[in-house]
Amino acid sequence: MTTLALGPRLDLLHAGHACAEIRACEGRDLVLDAGHVTHLGALGLQILLAAARSWRAAGLSLIIAPRSAAFDDALVLFGLPLAALQSEGVA
Amino acid sequence: MATDPMAEIRAGFFVECEELLESLQDSLVLLQDGRTDSETVNTVFRAVHSIKGGAGAFGLDALVAFAHRYETVLDALRSGQLEATPEAVRSFFQAADLLQDHVRAARDGAPPPEGAEEVLRTLEALIGGGGETAEPPPDFQPIALDFQPITLSFDFDALDEPAAPARWVIRFRPTDALYASGNEPLHLLRALAALGSAEVACDTTAVPPLDALPPEAALLAWRITLPGEIAEAEIREVFDFVEDVCALEIARETGTGAEPPAVAPAGVPGCAAEAPAAPQVPPAPVDAAIVDAAPLPAATPAAAPPRETSGRHAPPAEVSATVRVDLDRIDRLVNLVGELVINQAMLAQSVAEAGLPPNSAVMTGLEAFMMLTRDLQDSVMMIRAQPVKPLFQRMARIVREASAAVGKEVRLHTEGETTEVDKTVIERLAEPLTHMIRNAVDHGLETPELRLAAGKPAEGVISLTAQHRSGRIVIEVADDGAGINRPKVREIALARGLIPADAALTDAEIDNLLFLPGFSTASQVSALSGRGVGMDVVRQAIQSLGGRVTIQSAPGAGTRFSISLPLTLAVLDGMVVSVADETLVVPLSSILETATLAAGDIRALGPQTNVIHLRGAFVPLYDLGAELGYRAPLPSYEGAVVLLTAQEDGSRAALIVDAIHEQRQVVIKGLQQAYGRIPGVAAATILGNGRIALILDTADLVQTASGRTRISQLALAG
Repeated sequence: MTTLALGPRLDLLHAGHACAEIRACEGRDLVLDAGHVTHLGALGLQILLAAARSWRAAGLSLIIAPRSAAFDDALVLFGLPLAALQSEGVA
Repeated sequence: MATDPMAEIRAGFFVECEELLESLQDSLVLLQDGRTDSETVNTVFRAVHSIKGGAGAFGLDALVAFAHRYETVLDALRSGQLEATPEAVRSFFQAADLLQDHVRAARDGAPPPEGAEEVLRTLEALIGGGGETAEPPPDFQPIALDFQPITLSFDFDALDEPAAPARWVIRFRPTDALYASGNEPLHLLRALAALGSAEVACDTTAVPPLDALPPEAALLAWRITLPGEIAEAEIREVFDFVEDVCALEIARETGTGAEPPAVAPAGVPGCAAEAPAAPQVPPAPVDAAIVDAAPLPAATPAAAPPRETSGRHAPPAEVSATVRVDLDRIDRLVNLVGELVINQAMLAQSVAEAGLPPNSAVMTGLEAFMMLTRDLQDSVMMIRAQPVKPLFQRMARIVREASAAVGKEVRLHTEGETTEVDKTVIERLAEPLTHMIRNAVDHGLETPELRLAAGKPAEGVISLTAQHRSGRIVIEVADDGAGINRPKVREIALARGLIPADAALTDAEIDNLLFLPGFSTASQVSALSGRGVGMDVVRQAIQSLGGRVTIQSAPGAGTRFSISLPLTLAVLDGMVVSVADETLVVPLSSILETATLAAGDIRALGPQTNVIHLRGAFVPLYDLGAELGYRAPLPSYEGAVVLLTAQEDGSRAALIVDAIHEQRQVVIKGLQQAYGRIPGVAAATILGNGRIALILDTADLVQTASGRTRISQLALAG
């Protein structure tokens, strides 16, 4: 299981970098550490949604843990459940 | 990265904030004057609300929180639950001042100002205690949903009245440009949630798998449902900054057919539920899958559905076309035009030296060129000119704070706020003016008890006015207080050894003692206006701007300080004169007339000084050559040329020069930074022949002059 720590800001300026980092982990079960995220922007959210879609298609596990309060608050405001960003894998 | 687009947009937001704060102050003044019509109240509300909306978009939480609580109280005023009593307006002013501090703190990345809670509590007490909190509604309950558009309920205000108006349905689809311009849907969603119970559904169908994802493309859309009681304008204001970079539809819910589906079943969806990825094509209409609504055009500015025409948010009557330009660019232009003026003078001199006939084509062309240069310079100076209004608004705050500090009731009356003057003059005037206003509140006005006893209203009035007069700007600070206590001023001046005991001083001379360093009439040192070191510093600051300050005072009626300043610090109209082979420039504004002295005009006064007799009055005579150290006083001034100049206190002085050459506009080149302050010299300029000429400060020169216009007999004998 690979763990990748997300940066504090997931917005326009950091979306490309975050996207590349997660892409680099494709093909493996992945834990995204969102414990230090202070700002989850809509572009960051898109990346996580897309990642979940890819991981699900590959039957791999993608978990976001731990999560900061800012991360959870943003998800609520965006109208999305955490499950939309995760993949349980085939097991 | 060369430029940070977000930083630019943020900077734009803060400029907007300054404009909103200005309009807030204006409307509060109207409220204070009893104008409680809905337009005034709405302008106040809108200013605060717009600042909040914009701040929300930039995640400036402290500013949003403050503005939100302020706005809540203003909403009570708007709905008629709160009256604009003097106490209430006072609190609104205090809150507006703090809102300004909040904006500036947010702009500068400084911590939020202190004292906000106290002001907010006073404000909220007007509507019977704590208003809404600024935090976003707390109790969100996320529910697991499918990848299809989903709905979450923020259920903290669940019970809709049966008779309530139909709920608002907002369909919002950002375009790429929304993100590129630094905006963030999260902040908009937060601002919407702050308006009331919100249900948010996110349409994720356009999001492809990760390897097909363009990271900066706008692929998400939202459908937000809000209670029908919220005014449409409030919802629209949330989108004020993004209207042209998103597809937006705001409409009332139309019957059950348009209801969003119930929250999708819990549980994590399987992969089969994924929608077809469509990353490279225009995204589908907002949540077309869940509501039977007309599709929104993707990537086009929001259509303009008819807004509520209740009059609450009337559009501005006229929008003047303006463009914001970086100040550096303007200064560069001003400097270049200055160089052009110097160059033109050099050219004119070369042409004159060539001995061309006056009606030659070159001379005619040169004259036209000079006129154009003058017009160009005037136009450039006008770009730098700004109305004094922001400065006056700052002073309004000073009055509020100063009067609260000393327990006096003070009303500020302003006039001529649209009078324009060079930006630098405005900036450098703020400090001396602040001091004068504080002095007026602290020393000028009496206490309410003394005022009542003198038959005056308890509330004192300070007038701050600006007007253009003879090519200068005149700013006056007047109070309707007790006037200068001249016996006391005299007594203090005597006690401090500033004047001899037997000095026979006129009223004006006594008043001018206030400008002496260290002079203070306050028996007790006050924390507000300090230790009386103010007025001499005030005068110095004004003089360094090429200005003058004068006092007029009437016992029992008040005191008036008049500041006269040049309109610009870049150019001035001057008289070019020569003294002992040195070329000097005397500002035209200080010259009353010029004359040639006859033998009978000159009278001796004391061993070394002369006065001239001019139209029944005696005027002290100063020899510029001797005063500036270029030469000794002349043996005789018969036939000499004098410039009669006006002094700050209305007195006159005659300056001897060797010759007057011409009257012309000169470009001011400051000397203070390079050489420090030179007594009697205001600045320098470059003449047409390329030589540097000093520009004189005649008032300062006369003040420090020896007045020696005769070689003493003793000196001759020695």
